Amino acid sequence: MMLLRLITWPYVRKHLLRCALTTAGIVLGVAVFVGMHTANQSVLFAFNQTVDKIAGATQLQVSAGETGFPESVLEQVQDAPEVDVAVPVIEAAVQSGIEGQGNLLILGVDMTGDRSLRDYDLDNADEAIIDDPLVFIAQPDSIIITTAFSQRTGLNLNDKITMQTMAGPRQFTIRGVMKGDGLASAFGGNLAIMDIYSAQMVLGRGMRFDRIDIALRPGIKVDDARLALQARLGPGLQVEPPSARGQQFEAMAQVYSMTANITSIFALLIGLFLIYNTFNIAVTQRRSEIGILRALGATRAQIRGLFLIESGIAGLAGSIAGVALGVVIARALASYLSTFLGEVYGVAQRAEEISADPRLLLAALVIGVVTSLLAGWLPARSAASIDPVKALQKGRVQVISEGENRLRMWIAFAALAGALACVFFGHQPIFFYTGYLLSVVAVLLLTPALGSWLTRLLRPLLKAVRPVEGALAADSLLQAPRRTSGTVAALALSVALVIGLAGISRSSYDHIRRWMDAALNPDLFVTSSESLTTRSFRFPLSMAAELAEIPGVEEVQPARTARIVYQGVPVMLVAADVAKIAQRVQMRVIEGDPNTMYLQAMRGEGVVISDNFATLRRINKGDTLSLPTPSGLLKLPVLGIVLDFSDQQGTIMMDRRLYVQHWRDETVDVFRIYAAPNTPIPALRQAILDRFGAQTRLFVFTNQELRDYILGITDQWFGLTYVQILVAVLVAILGIVNTLTVSIADRRRELGVLQAVGGLRNQIRHTIWLEAVTIGVLGLAIGFALGAVHLAYILEITRRDLAGLRLEYQFPLEIALLMLPVLLGSALLSALGPAESAVRGSLVEALEYE
Amino acid sequence: MIDISNLTREFNGKRKVVALAGVSLSIAKGEMVSLVGPSGSGKSTLLNLIGALDTPSSGEISIDGVRLSGLSDNELTRVRRDKIGFIFQFFNLLPSLSCEENVALPLHLRGWDRRKARDRANELLDLVGLTKRTHHLPDELSGGERQRVAIARALSVYPPVLLADEPTGNLDTHTGADILHLIRDLNARLGATVLMVTHDREVAATCPRTITLRDGHIVEDLVRQPAL
Repeated sequence: MMLLRLITWPYVRKHLLRCALTTAGIVLGVAVFVGMHTANQSVLFAFNQTVDKIAGATQLQVSAGETGFPESVLEQVQDAPEVDVAVPVIEAAVQSGIEGQGNLLILGVDMTGDRSLRDYDLDNADEAIIDDPLVFIAQPDSIIITTAFSQRTGLNLNDKITMQTMAGPRQFTIRGVMKGDGLASAFGGNLAIMDIYSAQMVLGRGMRFDRIDIALRPGIKVDDARLALQARLGPGLQVEPPSARGQQFEAMAQVYSMTANITSIFALLIGLFLIYNTFNIAVTQRRSEIGILRALGATRAQIRGLFLIESGIAGLAGSIAGVALGVVIARALASYLSTFLGEVYGVAQRAEEISADPRLLLAALVIGVVTSLLAGWLPARSAASIDPVKALQKGRVQVISEGENRLRMWIAFAALAGALACVFFGHQPIFFYTGYLLSVVAVLLLTPALGSWLTRLLRPLLKAVRPVEGALAADSLLQAPRRTSGTVAALALSVALVIGLAGISRSSYDHIRRWMDAALNPDLFVTSSESLTTRSFRFPLSMAAELAEIPGVEEVQPARTARIVYQGVPVMLVAADVAKIAQRVQMRVIEGDPNTMYLQAMRGEGVVISDNFATLRRINKGDTLSLPTPSGLLKLPVLGIVLDFSDQQGTIMMDRRLYVQHWRDETVDVFRIYAAPNTPIPALRQAILDRFGAQTRLFVFTNQELRDYILGITDQWFGLTYVQILVAVLVAILGIVNTLTVSIADRRRELGVLQAVGGLRNQIRHTIWLEAVTIGVLGLAIGFALGAVHLAYILEITRRDLAGLRLEYQFPLEIALLMLPVLLGSALLSALGPAESAVRGSLVEALEYE
Repeated sequence: MIDISNLTREFNGKRKVVALAGVSLSIAKGEMVSLVGPSGSGKSTLLNLIGALDTPSSGEISIDGVRLSGLSDNELTRVRRDKIGFIFQFFNLLPSLSCEENVALPLHLRGWDRRKARDRANELLDLVGLTKRTHHLPDELSGGERQRVAIARALSVYPPVLLADEPTGNLDTHTGADILHLIRDLNARLGATVLMVTHDREVAATCPRTITLRDGHIVEDLVRQPAL
């Protein structure tokens, strides 16, 4: 401690900027980790809170994914001896239609029984109507809203709201306003309660419920009741506590969580190299100080301990600041992520507050400190091995030992060999991920050697640009590779991260476009919601025939899409007329015979599944799927596997008749319309709107609009990627500034000598500029190579563990080319300050500097 | 060769320090002069000013007919580059460069061709007796050898003026004597003007002329008669 106060503290005070730049690496790494995970957790928390608040006293829920089930199930549940109260629910997030209010969660309940599960805590109500549920039901236009929604919109008791329902526009009267932080605060207060039969009409659900909420008789254990009810209802329906919905949502958001993890690891690795680099230079600079301490009796362990404690403190300070910054990032990210996840998965949640998990924050602190300690380990060991006699001799510098270089190279080659060996056993996750890690480690350990080799290659070019300064810059890098290797490694990691993210983004866009060309070829899409991922409203099947009668319509393909729960994870079920689809759509077949599989599917003899579903669930052609349906478990063979991007968790395609038979659901989400040849599409679209506009709620998208919508969602997804790219570039710039600042300080005497023996100020400036640009080139070159490998690995991770998507390898050349001016320009800009400080200082002092 | 008139150098820190107070001096071409005085007398400051490493508070310096006052930084550097060679007490060699590269460094800064610079560096290393050490790093050399490399670097363009700041201060007596011998030899063979700062009276006595400074003033300017 005394050493810290006497030795470290004055050094920190003297080099405040340098210390700040060093810790900034950890700040950013920890901030990215905390920011992305806290935002994710906040969204999950908001979802769970909404579920909890809506659940009220509900102990178990009966559901069937998004397909719902016939009303008859309610009686079966109510008859169960374990059940005290069982009430039906319809729950759907719909566009509120009020500017700035976003989605409104509609909860359709049966008021006669529901108040024993949920406390409506009415602040303001038409007592006569609310107190008597029968009167509420008798007034089918009744709705209850929350105080928060009332305050935000100015809507009050007895005000009227017009809603676009599946039976055309309907006026509703506000007959109650709920208060409190229970049910009224669910979904951020954007909640409207209506009678369940009104909800069926509004949303076009027919005689179906989404869910049954259950309270058990006193003394009955939840687990026992769950098993008993599951046995009673059969495997086609899910009986789960309300919290299970959160787990399903979490499974859907897993792709995002994994992306956040990869980015965080890279950000922390970059921070690690920044700290390593600075501590390495600090050890060189403070060698005389270390020599004095050793001469005065400090042991090697004390010196090592001193530097390790310093790196630990830097890590702790950086981590604390990183946690604070991370929470700020999370605040900005959460609402974006909330909207985005809602768009992609069509799941209702509203993250308005940050829920920072203390365990996550503690983990971030520990990770930050451990990273910093790891980074400080080698410099601390170097410091401990300093020879006090040599250190106390002025003008004498200890150079890196050949032995250490050799050892590092051997480890690098061993890692490389290990990575290559792992490729052969890559089908096993442990070998695959070990190979990934080893390849990154190998490239990072080879960075000094690769840097020297590349600098030798660049030397003639640099000399051609500026004969004297170019050669000096190259020689400076060649002669002290250790000084810059940390920064080059950090830069290479940043570049690799960008290449990986940009590569996966490019491949995804390309594949999505190709898939849209093949699969989304109808001229018009008639949907019941503004958003294609929202399936709250449904059309009756009878509309298909009416649509077909409109002049100009050649073919109508009704489709029903809904998430069902397959082995605990939501997966998309697409029920359509397979025969018609097969004629019009040419999806790339991965497994199966296109000539027979669609025919068999049309006869209801099996299903066709998407490639990502097959990969994620390890399913092959010929395997049998057990699908839960309200009529029981449906066992169907997989007839074929096709490339389809409809859903991140995968899709199961079956013939519509099979779906109707087992799910007893005739509703439709979307009608795919093919126009007759030479029919003007805008006119046809208008004809459809004219025909149904007053009769039902509907939206008609042209093919281009749908493509734009899908690309818009993809943009949103990769919007996060671009933020990560920005962070990576920022870290890279920070790395260069850091290195140059410490490097110039370290070389003050050397630069003084250069001036003393005849170097012009401009020559010194240009040397430093060229050095910075060369560092940038080295980082870019090694980063491109590492990025190429990283991209291959993350495409494989995406395929096998994240989304099951078989994305083609495409190096993102445009982004790589864009990074050249950005990073080289940043390197040059970063060099301006240090270069000026190098030439402006006192030459006499620089020559005496030790 | 070197003309100094009324040279003053003040340092304005927490308290004002007058390192040189109105020093005037003239050194002819080919002279070998030692500059002595106690610590803080101003000898290193004077050497730095003559070497255009520092700028005076007032007064005038002229090197080989070039007046330093009013020159820009680049012009001062050119004076340093073309007319002055430096020999430092702590050698100030770049640790990561070999002997040959250290010697060739000023030539590279002048834009010399790599081969030509290397040839000159080898010629100079030969001159200072280090032919066999051309590819060694400074760390692999003895103190005396390092100083020889520093001298070879100072001579890279055969400048008319050699400035040496305690060239033997970091060396043992025997090696120090060798280095002095070398400097004297170079002075005689190349005709360069040598100005050497030292605190060692014996070292100073080896020069034909010795200037003594105290508290920023010249207190003695002793010219020795050559031995018959």
